[in-house]
Amino acid sequence: MNARPSSPSGIALQARGIHKSFVSGRVRSSVLRDLSIDIETGELTLISGPSGCGKSTLLAILSGLQPPDEGSVHALGEDLCTYDTRKLERFRLHHTGFVFQGFNLFPALSAVEQVELPLHYLGLAPSEAKRRAAQSLEEVGLGPRMRLRPSELSGGEKQRVAIARALAKEPELLFADEPTSALDAANGQIVIDILHRIARNHGTTVLCVSHDPRLVSHADRVLTMEDGRILSDRRQQSPLRPTTGTDTPGTEETAP
Amino acid sequence: MVALARKTLIYEWRRFLPAILAVGFAGLLQLLQAALVLGIFGSSSVYITGSSADLWVGYPGTQSVNLGRAIDNGVEMRLRMDPAVTKVEPFQWVDSDWRGPQDTGGVSVFVSGIDTRPDGMMFSKALSPELRARLVEPDAVIVDRADLDNLGVGIGGVAAINGHRVRVVGVSSGLRALGGVNIVASLDTARRIDTAPADSNRTTYFVARVADPSQAHDIARRLRGAASFGRYDVWTAKSFAHRSQMYWMLDTGAGAGVLFLAGIVFLVGAVITSQTLVAAVVGSVREYATLNALGVGVGALRRVVMEQAFWVGAIGLVGSMALGAVFLLVASHYSVPVALSPVATLACLALVMALAIVSGLAAMRSLRRADPATLLR
Repeated sequence: MNARPSSPSGIALQARGIHKSFVSGRVRSSVLRDLSIDIETGELTLISGPSGCGKSTLLAILSGLQPPDEGSVHALGEDLCTYDTRKLERFRLHHTGFVFQGFNLFPALSAVEQVELPLHYLGLAPSEAKRRAAQSLEEVGLGPRMRLRPSELSGGEKQRVAIARALAKEPELLFADEPTSALDAANGQIVIDILHRIARNHGTTVLCVSHDPRLVSHADRVLTMEDGRILSDRRQQSPLRPTTGTDTPGTEETAP
Repeated sequence: MVALARKTLIYEWRRFLPAILAVGFAGLLQLLQAALVLGIFGSSSVYITGSSADLWVGYPGTQSVNLGRAIDNGVEMRLRMDPAVTKVEPFQWVDSDWRGPQDTGGVSVFVSGIDTRPDGMMFSKALSPELRARLVEPDAVIVDRADLDNLGVGIGGVAAINGHRVRVVGVSSGLRALGGVNIVASLDTARRIDTAPADSNRTTYFVARVADPSQAHDIARRLRGAASFGRYDVWTAKSFAHRSQMYWMLDTGAGAGVLFLAGIVFLVGAVITSQTLVAAVVGSVREYATLNALGVGVGALRRVVMEQAFWVGAIGLVGSMALGAVFLLVASHYSVPVALSPVATLACLALVMALAIVSGLAAMRSLRRADPATLLR
C-alpha cells in the first residue's frame, strides 16, 4: 500500500470556502455557502441538522465523491479538487471507507465475500483478503454469521457487514451517512458502539452525518448545520479518550 | 477473487433467465436456419458431394450441376491421356418427365445415368454397392425414399419417363433434389430415356479421379487448356459444388432472405438480452455505487457487467447447441434436408456470442447511474 499521507497539524479533512449549489429545472438552490471546516484526526465527528441542511452534500464533498463549485478540500493533506476521477477512485480505495443508510449489499454474496470484494481491488492476496475480512467481521460481532447472505441477516447485522466492509480496508477516513436511521433502538446502539470503537481503537477519523440524538453522546465533536452553514461547533468532553491537559473539562461551545 | 458476476448470475438466475433464453433461441434459430439452408441448397450439389470424383468436366460456364449441357465424348480420351488422372467415368444428366401409375400428373425428374460397377465414383457415398448392382437390369431406376409419394410408386412399381417404361428397383436416402426429383439409373437406361437427338455421342459430364487429390486444382487448370475435343471446362469437385450451391442461393434470392432473417434474429435477441442485462445492472446499481465509493474503479465494474454478458452468452450457446442437435437429429430422421458445416456452426455461435457482447456493452452504459454521490441523498 502507498505511504499514508498525513496532515502534520493533526487535521484529517480541511475545507475552505466551499460553495455548492444544485440546479433543478430553472431554480438554482444553494446548498453550501462559504463553508470552512477542519476535521481532526482520530475523532468521531458528528454532523447533525434538519434534512436539507446540506450535511450529506458536505459529506460527499469532504469524501471526494463530489467536487465543490468553489473552494478547496484537503483530505490527509492532499488537494482533492485537483484530482481526476481515476485519481479520486484510487484515493478512496486506499484511504476511505463508507457506510450508507441503505446497506447496499450484493444479494448473491455471503457476509465474508461482501467484505472481501473491495480488498481484492486493493491488490491483497486472496488469503490475506480472507483473513482481513474474517477479522473485520469478528470485530463487528458477526464472526459466527459470516457465511450467511444478506437475506438471512437482520437489518442491524446487514449494517454491521457494511461497516466491516468499510473497516477491512483499514482506512484512515471513515464516512457514515445516517448509519442508524434504518435500524431499531437496539441495533442502532450496537452500530453506534462500533463506530465509537473504530475511532478509539484504530485511530480512524470518523465523520458521521446523522440526526439520531443517540449518537450525540458518543461523538467527540458535534457540528450542527442549518441552511448550508454551520450553526454550532460543540466539542464535548472527550468520550473516546482520556481528557488531555489542553482540553477543558465539560463541553466547550464555539461560535461558528 | 470473489466471483461477483458468476455468483450473482447463479443466485439471481430468474433475473437473467430472459437474456439466457433470448440468446439461446437466437442461437437455435440461427443454427436451424443455417442447417436448413445448407441442407436444401446442399442438395443442389448432392451429385458432387455424394460422389468420390476429384474433377468434374462439363460444358464451359455451367453454373449449377442441373444446368449441364452435353460435351463431346472425345473429352474422355483427353482426360485419360493425362498421367495424373487415374479413373474417368461418364455421368449422364437427363431432364425429363415422369408419369407414375397413380394420378400424380407430370413430375419433373432429373435422371442421373451412372456407372453401376461397384467401384464407380458417381454416388459412391449415396448408394450401396448392392443397390448399384440392381441398376444393371435394363430400365431399372432408384428413387429417394422421401420422393415415393410424389412419384406415386412403391418399390417394384412401374412408371414412364419421357414415355420410356422404367421399374423402381430400390430406394435411396439423401438424394433429394431441388426443383424436381432425382432418379438414378444406369448409363444405358439414361441414354435410352434421353430423347434429345443432339445428345447422341455426347455426355453431360465426365468425372475423374486423380492420383493425388491435393493436386486436383492444378490438374484442373492444366486440363482446361485443350480445345481439340470441342468446348469443355474442368472444375475441382469442391469448387463445382460451391458454384452450384451459390447459384441456387442467389438465383432463388434465398441468400438475401437468410441474411435478412439472421439480422432480425440478431436484433430481437440483442434487444431482449440488453434490456435484461440493463435491468440486472439497474437492480444492483446501489451496490455498484457503493463499490465505487469504496474506490473500485468504473472499469472494474464494467468488467463485472461484461463477464455477466459473457456467461449469459455461453450458457445460451450451450443450450442452443443441445437443442439444435436434438432438432437436427429429428429433422434428419424425417428426411428433412439439413446440413451443418463446422464453419457455419462456428459462424452462428460467433454471431450469438457477438449478440451477448453487444448487449453487455449496452448494459455497461447504465453503470453511469452508479454514482456514489446519489447514495448520500
